[in-house]
Amino acid sequence: MKLLELDNLQVSIGPVQAVRDVSLSLVQGECRALVGESGCGKSVTAMSLLNLMPPAAQTNAARWNFAGRDMRQLSEREWRRIRGNEIAMIFQNPMTALDPTQTIGSQIAEPLRIHKGLSKREARMRAIALLERLAIANPAQRAAQYPFEFSGGMLQRAMIAMAVVCEPQLLIADEPTTALDVTVQAEVLSILRELRESSGTAMLFITHDLGVVAEIADSVSVMYAGQTVETGPLQGVFSREAHPYTQALKRAVPNMENPHRLEAIAGTPPDLRHPPKGCSFAARCCERMAICDQLPPNFPCESTAAHQARCWLWHPEHPARWRENEQ
Amino acid sequence: MLKFIAKRLLSGAITIWFIATATFFAMHAVPGDPLTQEKAMSPTVRAQLEARYGLDKPLSEQYQLFLGNMLRGDFGISFTQENRKVNDIISKHFPISAILGLAAVLIALVGGVAAGTVAAYYRNRWPDRLVMIGVIAAISVPGFVIAGLAQLIIVAMNNAAGKTLLPVAGWGSVNHIWVPALVLGLGTMAYLSRIMRASMLEVLSADFNTAAKAKGVHGLRLFWHHQLRNAVLPVVTELGPTIAGVTTGGFVVELIFAIPGLGRYFVQAVQQLDYTVIMGTTVFYGAFLVLVVVLVDISYGLIDPRIRLHGGGGR
Amino acid sequence: MAMSVFRFARRTWASEDLEHIAPVPLPKMATPAVVLSSLVVIALLLFVSIGPLVWRQDPSQQWLSQISAGPSAPHSVRLIRDNGPWQPPVSEPVQSLVVHDANTEFVRLQWPQIEGVKRYRVYRASAHKAGLGLAIAETDKSYYQDQLQLSYQIYRYTIADADSGLLLLAREVRPEAAISLFEAQLQGLVPVGKSRRHAKWLEIPGHPLGTDALGRDILARLMAGGRTSLFVGVVAPLLYISFGCIFGAIAGLAGGWVDQAAMRFVDFVVALPFLLFMILFRVAFGIGPGENGIMPLIVAMLMLSWPGSARLIRGQVLALRGQAFVEAAKLAGVSTSRVILRHMLPNVLPMILVAFSFAIPQAIFTEAFLSFIGMGVSPPTTSWGALCNDGIKTLLSHPRQLLLPALFISVSVLAFNLLGDALRDATDRRAGVAKA
Repeated sequence: MKLLELDNLQVSIGPVQAVRDVSLSLVQGECRALVGESGCGKSVTAMSLLNLMPPAAQTNAARWNFAGRDMRQLSEREWRRIRGNEIAMIFQNPMTALDPTQTIGSQIAEPLRIHKGLSKREARMRAIALLERLAIANPAQRAAQYPFEFSGGMLQRAMIAMAVVCEPQLLIADEPTTALDVTVQAEVLSILRELRESSGTAMLFITHDLGVVAEIADSVSVMYAGQTVETGPLQGVFSREAHPYTQALKRAVPNMENPHRLEAIAGTPPDLRHPPKGCSFAARCCERMAICDQLPPNFPCESTAAHQARCWLWHPEHPARWRENEQ
Repeated sequence: MLKFIAKRLLSGAITIWFIATATFFAMHAVPGDPLTQEKAMSPTVRAQLEARYGLDKPLSEQYQLFLGNMLRGDFGISFTQENRKVNDIISKHFPISAILGLAAVLIALVGGVAAGTVAAYYRNRWPDRLVMIGVIAAISVPGFVIAGLAQLIIVAMNNAAGKTLLPVAGWGSVNHIWVPALVLGLGTMAYLSRIMRASMLEVLSADFNTAAKAKGVHGLRLFWHHQLRNAVLPVVTELGPTIAGVTTGGFVVELIFAIPGLGRYFVQAVQQLDYTVIMGTTVFYGAFLVLVVVLVDISYGLIDPRIRLHGGGGR
Repeated sequence: MAMSVFRFARRTWASEDLEHIAPVPLPKMATPAVVLSSLVVIALLLFVSIGPLVWRQDPSQQWLSQISAGPSAPHSVRLIRDNGPWQPPVSEPVQSLVVHDANTEFVRLQWPQIEGVKRYRVYRASAHKAGLGLAIAETDKSYYQDQLQLSYQIYRYTIADADSGLLLLAREVRPEAAISLFEAQLQGLVPVGKSRRHAKWLEIPGHPLGTDALGRDILARLMAGGRTSLFVGVVAPLLYISFGCIFGAIAGLAGGWVDQAAMRFVDFVVALPFLLFMILFRVAFGIGPGENGIMPLIVAMLMLSWPGSARLIRGQVLALRGQAFVEAAKLAGVSTSRVILRHMLPNVLPMILVAFSFAIPQAIFTEAFLSFIGMGVSPPTTSWGALCNDGIKTLLSHPRQLLLPALFISVSVLAFNLLGDALRDATDRRAGVAKA
């Protein structure tokens, strides 16, 4: 049973079509990484999953089910019961995502007070217990402190505590390690992995760091210019990249086997106010064909059933496929 | 925190001393001796004044005498109103000014925070435009004009109703306070709502606001716990200086609405060149304002934990 | 799908493919608000400079016949020689309320004696208003001469029994415009002393905005007042910002204990309650006989307002001193004065300009406030603030006399504020571009 099914999500903010076609699915306990350059619509996707886009934004989806409910039908009141309770979010920068005028303890306890109706005291005790579980020393004392008294790593742990305190079914982590030191990054990752193992929470892990993906994810979705261009299990996507963009992305990561060859992807992503007619990666693609400029590759193009890529190279009638089809 | 308060108080005391000194020398720069001006003054008052201020003594001694008197809280007697001590004038009329000023500051604070919040919530829509037009009007129209217009409106209102809904001028009942306080607070309200709008816009687009929403916080709880507390900080810092504005603006409002406050007496004293009243009132007002600014600084520390815990270094 | 679609057209990516990405347009400097406010400022300056040359009325000239009059065009008035006590000719008894003569100098009324009435009360009201209006006289005679501030409008006179309050007679009267011989001589419209027959009609100038409570032309006064207000508004900031800049620059360049001491002093001056000390200094400087009080005002403002720009400039100088290009210039052997002139000044100048444009409305406001409480310019010199002070006395009967100068203050303050906003945005943008 799928926990989240999202088909053809489209979000436009004024003239900008920030998300044009994102399809995602998660099963219970799965950790899916959503990978892409900055500005490709990852964060918009995450905010849309919580219905937290500004009122000016227009959201559309062909299918959007979560835990058996059609999310397109929910009222704002029902959304409030879901946010922080069933779907929670870890933000990128804990220094700015925590309210500077509230104590850490009260901020962690807040979802419990709202969703579980706990008393102030009870909620506080639960918050302190959670802080202790996340290996923060003197949790009772720490809970009474303010964000500016915490270090970056501790803040992110507090942020994680705030997100998981209601034991949500889905945890969205929006680049939770990007703003942190490398040493702290590892620590935060191990906490997240531990949490996932112990509670079985499904996680959507948004990042642009392929190294982190390999460490934590079960499956990967690659996003480019507001579209998911490749989706598949971790092994599949990383060892047999199907989309030229994923290939380029991998070449742009420092590699132990080939330390001297580091290729940046030439060019810049398209202007999302006027997205290209054909494939959005065509302008930067080194495998570009005539059709790429003319028609978007909107067809179920897959290398295997679980591993899909949005690319004309994988069209069943592409010459490279002939041989496979004959075999 | 204690260290922070002590520091603020000390600098406040030095400032008051500076104000007193500046007042003293400004008054001594008056062309000619204040006592030799052609002014109807009874010999008794004259003798008392000469004895008190030692006007025949050298400047340094006069200065010491003046500072000593000020320290003891003794501001002397009025030049023009015989046998009336400046202290009495202050203690009788200052409370009226203080009530008026307090009402004005409260109106300005509540109105400014509310208007700024509404403007920020409805950014670039008609409530925002309305608030900003009001702000521009209140900033560019002088206080005495607003006071005059307010009187005109009250008169028209009373005429239309056929009875006295609100008194046009004077002092004595609660109804006498509303309009002058509103007029007095209007400029400050405009200023504060501009600041509030900016800081609320910042809060509304801040990560922690989104994070709070992502936790399921909404409605009043979101506003009260997360938005207001953060957005109001810059407003509180501005409160100290604006109180000074409200106090001096009080001169005109008291004059126009015929309110027997200290401001009106100060203006009268200035027009009659009543030197002791001018000096006393200036030093008193100055000290009061400095004290208010210090208090506001301290209260800022109470709202913002960063200052409360770190002794005010990080602002 | 046709095969030909998949012909191999692999091209490598070329840089010109991306040229179409549009650069972010800079915000426009000439927004409607800026254009409008610049025009307003220019119009105001023309109004006070060219205005008095075009509108040649003396702002101090008092028209006794036109006190608090409404707007009027140039018109001819009857010259009234005889406006002493009056008695109706006995020979002609009247049947009803008769108007013997009606002009703005006097209205002469006569009515029949009514039996049983000992005293009459005369009421006068503007015709367009309901009610009896003002009780202007009580008399036991059956005639009355009204000389009480008549203006060019229709009046309704009502005669009542003073004892019983019974209304007896009423009539509407339109007095014709007139001027007394005395005033005509005073204004130089007719020569003094010559007892020859004068012209029966005189031409008098109009007052497009009416006259004030002393019968002075409001338009001329607005021009004269604007000169003072704008003069103070521009000159005072010019002086105190220059002084503050020099002070701040010296402190910043000297550094060390000089800087420390100077900035402590600035702290204290900032702590002085501004308007309180404006008044105090204003009193301290005093105004001698025959002085207009503008200089003391400017000096007082200079003494109290300089610290803001001193802090600004010192901060800028300190910041610039540490910057690489200044260090580099110094290392290259450029002299200190040259470094200041060539490198620091161009960086600091826009900020000074912004501070200046915001200081102007503030100075206009301060001057208005002080003049309003009578601590500004001294008569006969006037300013918009002083005009407001005159106007507030007649606020309830003639609000125009307050609102007109108030409008000028508000419009000029608004215009300068908008200009300042635009200038600040422009310099912010410049700074932003320089940083990026």
